[in-house]
Amino acid sequence: MSDQLTYEQALEKLDEKLKVLEDGDLSLEDALKAVDEARVYLKVCTERLEAARKKIEVRPEPTE
Amino acid sequence: MLKPEEAQRPYTVTELANEIRRELRPLTAMLVKGEVTGMKQGAGGHYNFSIRDGVSRLDAVLFADDARRVTTLPEDGQVFIFRGRVDFFGKTGRLSFITDQVEFDDVGKLRARLEELKRRLELEGAFATGRKRRLPFLPQVVALITSPTGAVIHDLQETIWERYPNMGVVVYPVQVQGAAAPMSISRALRRCNEEGLAQVIVVARGGGSFEELYAFNTEIVARAILGSRLPVVTALGHTSDRTVADMVADVEARTPTEAGSRVVPKKADLMALLRERERRLDRETNQRLLRETEKLQTKRARLVQVLPAMVRVRVDRLAHAAANLARLSPVQQVARREEVLRERARRLAAAGTARMTRARNALASRRAPDRLERALLERFATEQRRLDHLRQQLVAFSPEAVLARGYSITIDAESGRVVRSAAETAVDRKVRIRLATGRLGARVEQVEP
Repeated sequence: MSDQLTYEQALEKLDEKLKVLEDGDLSLEDALKAVDEARVYLKVCTERLEAARKKIEVRPEPTE
Repeated sequence: MLKPEEAQRPYTVTELANEIRRELRPLTAMLVKGEVTGMKQGAGGHYNFSIRDGVSRLDAVLFADDARRVTTLPEDGQVFIFRGRVDFFGKTGRLSFITDQVEFDDVGKLRARLEELKRRLELEGAFATGRKRRLPFLPQVVALITSPTGAVIHDLQETIWERYPNMGVVVYPVQVQGAAAPMSISRALRRCNEEGLAQVIVVARGGGSFEELYAFNTEIVARAILGSRLPVVTALGHTSDRTVADMVADVEARTPTEAGSRVVPKKADLMALLRERERRLDRETNQRLLRETEKLQTKRARLVQVLPAMVRVRVDRLAHAAANLARLSPVQQVARREEVLRERARRLAAAGTARMTRARNALASRRAPDRLERALLERFATEQRRLDHLRQQLVAFSPEAVLARGYSITIDAESGRVVRSAAETAVDRKVRIRLATGRLGARVEQVEP
């Protein structure tokens, strides 16, 4: 599920998890689950930041 | 009719053509104003068209090299001021106006045409904010459509990499000025979308006059931007009015630097943001675990207090259950019954013995004479047995028994005493000899004491 997420989507999910965690209404099991999920999203975010590869490519116009 | 002396060698056609060209040479750097008609692009990128006014018409050509330099490409129906020279082409026999510069005759009129284009686009909703595509939050590759030379591309790359050091950049070099610019730009936009190497497009140019920015006010470029699947950001400099391209673009930036910062987030900011989230997550986790640990410790303390009682109750219950189980077990039942039987047998035996003892005692007390008699009889029997023994001894010791073994007894015939030694008799004394069977009367003949 996290494979398709963009940085922005993963960050949004991460913030959702953080919010429910910080609201503090979760049972311990749910809280631990939420923490695990939040960490997955955090990892996705970090991966997305590093996914870009610095390069420069020039695509000249094809000659007619 | 020419007279012979007047006769000249005739020109060849080529000679005449060359002569005409020579004659036309002064007609250079001419400015001519006229309306364009029959515009078409020929082989090698040259443009052929006619310039006309109400009366006359002049063939014209715009060579590819010049076409790249002109600020605007003449279009049919428009009036321009053309700069160029007149030339004669011997091969085709045609006279042509070689255009090297094109200028709008009436900028006001051009602006009016531009306004008309804007109105049309407006009606189509091309400028509506709702139509605009959202820029990706974090592209991986940014496409730059701009002139490959100059400060613009340098500034764009600098800005992008300063903000995001590992951002990919793909450059589509285009002509941003000149007659070919609109086509060049719109082709690049289409290729960007077809190739899909980038997630966002920046169309940039380092500013310019109204004429220099002409390409960005053409419908062809506007349509290419509208038709783009990828979001388009314009960065056309800040020296002129907004172009149609700016208006239809998804984001309009003034400078390349601004465009760069619009399409690429600052990586450092994003990382700081993630670190902040991570800290919150850690804090939340730690607090929660701490809280749970405390709760657990409280519970453990309470458990330690109640445990002995609980264990006792459970041990009791367990014992009870075991007992129940044992009672119900068939083996145990048999064993228990056996035990009961044994117990009864023991009790019975004990009772029997006691009873008999009692009875015997009672009997004994009642039958004392019997006992006496029996005692006597017993005694008799004993004595009898002794007697028998003695008799047997007696028999064993009796003379008959000895005699039977070959011995004999000598008795003095007169005294009747048993002669035990030779000295007890004398020669000629009469003796009787008793044998096992029978007797002998004899006289002593010899005494050997």
